[in-house]
Formats: sequence, structure tokens, C-alpha cells
Amino acid sequence: MSAKQFGDYIIRVDSIGKTFDNGVVALKNFSTNIRRSEVVVLIGPSGSGKSTFLRCLNGLEEIDTGSIIVDGILLDDNKKNRLEIRKEVGMVFQHFNLFPHLSVLKNITLAQMLVRKKSKGEAEDEAMQLLQKVNIAEKANVFPSQLSGGQQQRVAIARALAMKPKVMMFDEATSALDPEMIGEVLEVMKNLANEGMTMVVVTHEMGFAKEVSDWVIFMEDGMKVEEGTADHFFSDPKMDRTKLFLSQIL
Amino acid sequence: MRSSILLFCKRHHLLDISAYLVLMVGGILLLLKGAEDQGYYWQWFRIPKFLYHFEDGRFIAGPILEGLKITLNITWISLILTYIIGLVTALMRLSNSLLARGVARTYLEITRNTPLLVQIFFMYFVIAPILDIDRFTAGVLALSLFEGSYASEIYRAGIVAVNKGQWEASYTLGLGTYQNYRYIILPQAIRRILPPLTSQAISLIKDSSLVSVIAIYEMTMNANEIASETFLVFEIFFTIAAIYLALAITLSQVVAYFEKRYRVVS
Ligand SMILES: Nc1ncnc2c1ncn2[C@@H]1O[C@H](COP(=O)(O)OP(=O)(O)OP(=O)(O)O)[C@@H](O)[C@H]1O
Ligand SMILES: [Mg+2]
Repeated sequence: MSAKQFGDYIIRVDSIGKTFDNGVVALKNFSTNIRRSEVVVLIGPSGSGKSTFLRCLNGLEEIDTGSIIVDGILLDDNKKNRLEIRKEVGMVFQHFNLFPHLSVLKNITLAQMLVRKKSKGEAEDEAMQLLQKVNIAEKANVFPSQLSGGQQQRVAIARALAMKPKVMMFDEATSALDPEMIGEVLEVMKNLANEGMTMVVVTHEMGFAKEVSDWVIFMEDGMKVEEGTADHFFSDPKMDRTKLFLSQIL
Repeated sequence: MRSSILLFCKRHHLLDISAYLVLMVGGILLLLKGAEDQGYYWQWFRIPKFLYHFEDGRFIAGPILEGLKITLNITWISLILTYIIGLVTALMRLSNSLLARGVARTYLEITRNTPLLVQIFFMYFVIAPILDIDRFTAGVLALSLFEGSYASEIYRAGIVAVNKGQWEASYTLGLGTYQNYRYIILPQAIRRILPPLTSQAISLIKDSSLVSVIAIYEMTMNANEIASETFLVFEIFFTIAAIYLALAITLSQVVAYFEKRYRVVS
């Protein structure tokens, strides 16, 4: 486990804050740095700001204060920077968000062709390889509605990977799945982690967190409460709040 | 139990149909009686020559069919413009630019809160001389701008109804705003948009008769002239009503067909 080699910091988040229009403060003075190939798991109660944090990382939500740097690019108002970051950061959603009017194959080739400017042939080759990787190559030509939840989520992962992102974010990727399908998706995520993908994962799957993560962050009310390596975090939490949360969830 | 429900439904249906027939027959009788009371003398045989006649074996369109040609021209050009104006306005209203939203709102408020007739006059007497455009163009523009404001609301509702997750997925994959609309949002919105846009096309056919006020010789204008010259008021207006009706029904059938096909494909 500890043989893993990390690179430099690929994500630098410096004291960011986010308040929604309705006055809800979702992030307060939140800072963290993430290294290449690191798998960071974010946990915390509902409404603690986990999703908001991920969505700020790729610019889906605007931050009010602080700064975010991804792979040396500052996430600011500059449209080109933002696009660059969107291309480098893949995201997997709780509800998959596949494009229902496109076949599985087209779901995966569309952005490759439009954004990465690949030819149709190249994009399809890449898509088929990725579908093989997530064990669902035989479904290339069906529509998303004909797939089970677990299959849809694996397609969604393949779709994100097709952009060759440097970071992958997962926002409760298994929360909407039937129990018997959670395993197949976690398996794909584990393989990805083992290949050295940098990952930021919001999850309630503590087994996954213990086994795969290099760093765990527990947050509440938009703030970091405690963080540490998985070993330390789960076996020897320092804060009472963390202990309480872990006792409820484990 | 089930068969009695079925029977009830059937009876209901029959009742509906007979009520409809009674209404129709009653309406027609009332009209005929009204005409008779005025001492109206039906002369349907004089109508065909206003539609068409043959000269040396060649088909010559009469004033009604000539007018129909103009009506169809006004309608299809206005229809295309309406759909474009509607889409652009909807996208402007949904955009982040304050300027675009402001322009769209102003346009909508003006076109929706003034009568179409006034807009046609305004376009013809005020705008046309400035832009140096002919009456046909002025009429088409006025119609398109008017119908476009309603079309924009249809587009907007269809676009907004597409799940927010679709925007987010497409954004995350790096698609630009244009690509997002073109490949993700509009193809999903179109099925919701198509039926109400058809009704729009039908109101456009009907509203096209209003441009006769700026002396565009479309079907209603010609019919009006014939009626005042010949006093065949009932025959002429029944005839063009039937033509408008046929156009509208044909159009909705065509779209119903496409709608079905579209649904099967995806
Ligand atoms: N678009 C929004 N507008 C207003 N408030 C929002 C919005 N999105 C999230 N919030 C609020 O911000 C806070 C943080 O929400 P967030 O979704 O980040 O929490 P979370 O940790 O992901 O929770 P969960 O585990 O339920 O997904 C919550 O109080 C939420 O109600
Ligand atoms: Mg969340």
C-alpha cells in the first residue's frame, strides 16, 4: 500500500469560500493540496459541502474567495483557463447523467470529437477500449435507458476517462445504485486508483475509503474538521465530532 | 364490472358524437336560415371561376388561388423567421449576458402587449420607409416578430425542462455553450417543443390574413374584394374558410407524423 509514489501538487486549494444566493454558506476558508496519483476521500454529513467542493474544483460553481489551481492553471474568470481545467478534470455524478438520446458509444465519442478534435474512428477505438476496461463492451450500441444503474455508471466513468483527464472526481458514484451493483462500480474505481489516477472521491463506502484512499478529509458545515491517512483517520480519530460521525456510519 | 365500464365509455363516446352532430347540423341550419331571412340567394355555381378557369386548355388560377399563393408565401417565410427569432430570443433570455437578456425582454414586452394589427401598421408606415423595404417584407417581418415572441416562450420552456444534470455533464466534458445546445440540449428539448410549435404554424396561417390591411393581396384580401363586388359573401367566405381549415389540418397531420417517427427513433 505505502509503496505508492506521489508526484507534485496537481491541485492547490487555498482558503476558498462559497456562499449561495440564498445565503447558505457551503464552504468556509477551505484549503487542501492534492498530489498526483493521490486518492483523496471526502466524507461528512449531508449538507456539509462535499458536493459543493467538487463542483468548485471544475468551475461548476463559482467560489467567492480564495483560489484554486489545477495543474498549474488558475481557475479564474478567464474562459480559456476554465475550459482547460474542465478538460483536465473528469467528473462522475450520483445520477450518471448519461445523454439519453445518444447510444452508449456516442455518449463516449461525442466530447472526444468535439473537444479533443479526434476523428470518428480514433474516438470509437478509444471508446471500445474503455468499454472493455469497464467490462461492458457488448453494450456499445444500446441506449442508456436499456442499462442497469451499475452499467450506466460504468459507462459514465468510461465517458469521463475518454477525455484523458488528469484528475477524476466522483460524487457519491454508488449512492443511487442497488446494493448488488455497488461492487462492480467500486471495482472499476479501485482499478483506476491502482493505475495511478489522481482521484477526489465523495463516498459513504467506508470500506472503499479504508482500502483505497491515501488521504481522508472529514468535513462539516463547509469546514475541514479532521484529516489524515486512512489508517490514522479510521483507527485513531482525534476529534469528538469525527468519532461520533464514524460511530454512526460504520 | 369491466364490461360495464367499457359500455359506459362507449356510451359516452356515442353521446359525444351525437352531441357534436346536433351542434354542427344546428349551426348550419341557423346559418342557412339567417341567410334566407336576409333573402339570400345562393349562387355556388359562380364560385369556381374565382378559383380557376381554363383558357385554351391552360389552367389559369383565379383571384382566390392567386391570393392563396401569396398567403402560402407569407406563411412559409414567416414561419422560418418565427422559428429562428423564437430560438434566438429564447437563447438570449437564458444567457448570462445582461444586455442580451434585456434586449430579449424588451422585445417580448412590446410584441406581446400591443395588437398585431398595430404592429403591422407600425412596421409598414414607420419602419419600412426607414429601412426602405416593400410592403410584403414589412408584413412578413411584422408577423414573424409577433409570432416569434410566442415561439420563444415555447423554446424556453422546452429547454428549461431538460434535466440540469445534462448541462453539468456536458459542461464537465468540456463542451462549449453552442455545442451543448446543438448536441445535448436541443435534441432532447425538441420533442417537447414540436407540438406547440405546430400550433404556432397554424396561428401563423390564420394571422397572415391580417397583412391585408397594408394592401397585400393575399387570399382574404382578394376574397373581400370579390365579395364586395359580387355580393357572394357567404359562398366566398365559406370557400376560403374551408381552404384555411384544410391547410391547418394538413399541417398538423404532417407534424403528427414526424412526431411519431421522432419518438420511435430515440
Ligand atoms: N445550488 C444551491 N443553491 C443553494 N444552496 C445550495 C445549492 N447547492 C447546495 N446548497 C446548500 O449548500 C450546502 C452544502 O451542500 P452540498 O450539496 O455541498 O452538501 P453535501 O455535503 O454534498 O451533502 P450530501 O451528502 O447531502 O450530498 C447545503 O446546505 C445545501 O443545501
Ligand atoms: Mg452531495
